[in-house]
Amino acid sequence: MSRIENTDGSNPIPARAGVGLKPEHYAEILDTRPAIGWFEVHAENYMGAGGAPHHFLTAIREHYPLSVHGVGLSIGADAPLDTDHLNSLKQVCDRYEPGLVSEHLAWSTHDGVYLNDLLPVPYNAETLGRVCEHIDQVQEVLRRRMLLENPSTYIRFDGSEMSELDFLAAIVGRTGCGLLLDVNNVQVSATNHAYDAVAYIDAFPHQHVGEIHLGGHADDEGDDGEPLLIDDHGSAVADIVWNLYAHTISRCGPVPTLIEWDNDVPAWAVLMDEAARADIVLSETSVQHVAAE
Amino acid sequence: MSRLSDTQTGFAHAVFNADAAVPEGIVSHLRRQPRKRFGVYRNNVYVSLISVLEGRFPVVSRLLGEDFFKATARVFVEHHPPTSPVLMRYGGGFSEFLETFEPVADLPWLADVARLEWAWNLAYHAADKDPVAPEALAAIEPASAGSLVFELHPAVQLVRSAFPVVSIWSEHSKDGEPEHIDAGAGGEDGLIVRPGIAVEVRHLPRGGAAFISALAGGKTLGEAAEVALDEEASFDLQANLAGLIASGAIAGLRPA
Amino acid sequence: MESKTRKMTSLAIASAFAASVAAVGATPAVAADDMVKCYGIAKKGENDCKAGPGTSCSGSSTVDYQGNAWKLVKKGTCTQVSTPFGPGSLTCLATRPTGQNYQCG
Repeated sequence: MSRIENTDGSNPIPARAGVGLKPEHYAEILDTRPAIGWFEVHAENYMGAGGAPHHFLTAIREHYPLSVHGVGLSIGADAPLDTDHLNSLKQVCDRYEPGLVSEHLAWSTHDGVYLNDLLPVPYNAETLGRVCEHIDQVQEVLRRRMLLENPSTYIRFDGSEMSELDFLAAIVGRTGCGLLLDVNNVQVSATNHAYDAVAYIDAFPHQHVGEIHLGGHADDEGDDGEPLLIDDHGSAVADIVWNLYAHTISRCGPVPTLIEWDNDVPAWAVLMDEAARADIVLSETSVQHVAAE
Repeated sequence: MSRLSDTQTGFAHAVFNADAAVPEGIVSHLRRQPRKRFGVYRNNVYVSLISVLEGRFPVVSRLLGEDFFKATARVFVEHHPPTSPVLMRYGGGFSEFLETFEPVADLPWLADVARLEWAWNLAYHAADKDPVAPEALAAIEPASAGSLVFELHPAVQLVRSAFPVVSIWSEHSKDGEPEHIDAGAGGEDGLIVRPGIAVEVRHLPRGGAAFISALAGGKTLGEAAEVALDEEASFDLQANLAGLIASGAIAGLRPA
Repeated sequence: MESKTRKMTSLAIASAFAASVAAVGATPAVAADDMVKCYGIAKKGENDCKAGPGTSCSGSSTVDYQGNAWKLVKKGTCTQVSTPFGPGSLTCLATRPTGQNYQCG
């Protein structure tokens, strides 16, 4: 089952706050070497041959642990994985030796067209089989365990026969992959589909969570005037998500936690403040966790 | 065909066709086929890809104005969606698209500006390579120079235009109100280089583009000089070669 | 093929080569006609996992584009470039003269 050895050993990501690395901040990070636990990059932005992106990432990697987060592998597609793309992901991993590698439970490529969004899948036996095949293939090529991220969704499928939680647990059971728990995605999906976010966190397979994501969302309205949250990563983490995060840490223990801010990227100091807030939750809640045992 | 494949075919079709119905089987907890919710995906796909094109073609965008550019980019996305998940590769066909896009037919130079911006992008992400060292050049016996074959830097790109494309691009890349440019003032050729990590655009002297493209095609220095002189009688080998060396465009050289 | 007279002797090439190497050694990094540097060294990465701004905006509605029925007006700086076919127009949908290949002037 989990025959893929975890090769994270030499470059571990600490159970601290990290920040999504943005080109806007390259220079400041190299100049000031902020006390941040780690960085995460989107793999696809480093699939060029050379130039500035590699230059800056190489320099930053010398000083910080790194996590690689893929956004374009389309693991949830019915079609076979794009092996060229998977090989490019392997090259990024070989070059930067990340402590964690993650991707999404979503699809984005169909019929040779890349839709550039993380599109939802129906939760049923057919999708489960396809997703597990793809994760097996990724783990074999990368020679390491990957983390799979729970999605934020705006619609559901009639064809779903399982809950998202059962679906994720089944994937972990079959492939031995770990999970990336995006707490904001939980809040977004729970609101959008009118279920209880805390109950979702409580039932999440905690022992397999290798990383947490925190990001901002925007408020909108659905077709019937009902609340609809949009996962836009364009603002500070909402208070309701901070509360859900503290609850998550009380369940999972301290887990590396990423601040994601992709739209309207703010000044570096703003991201440091968000990271500091996560670090406080991590350190304070971990004490409670240990004491509780 | 599997059910999953059908689902994804229907989903993708509805994303790219704004008038299409939300596919059956897509629901919210309150209704079937929720149009507004499905619109989030449609919106994400278009907005994100239009924004990629805006970042890739900032001068074309400035020339057209934001609204006009976005509407243009939207048509491009609809007809030429990306085929790779690596978005730094998206937009290669934009210049050809502009050539035939009726609403910009009154700006016949626009496609060449897009071509220059695409070349800039290729140079930005091209492989790293050190330009040839001055000592290596100084060590060459000048008498044998005519039979040298040059290896150009991986970032080197040429853009040749019947319009003053380098002037238009550079004037509209700067902050502030651009100076007036006469598009009928004659063609310009641009050389795009990236000796380190910063991309540079140079305006080539006459004959320079023919010279560089001959070198890129594996011609010897002597042959390339002939090609350039055939095209432009005033071609100055010394100035062009010095420019090429100074811009870090030469990555290696060997006798033919 | 007709053989043609070479326009440059190997001596001329040798001297041009020697002079250009010496020139660059003496005055680095300024050459060609003029140079335009682009300072945007670190461009934004384009692959993200963010969503767009919600349910309703330009992305989810088509602009009325059918052949010549383009309703938008160019509001950019293109009026600063006068085209060979007359001044850049903000509103009109002028088609370039038929048969004219602008690529070759």
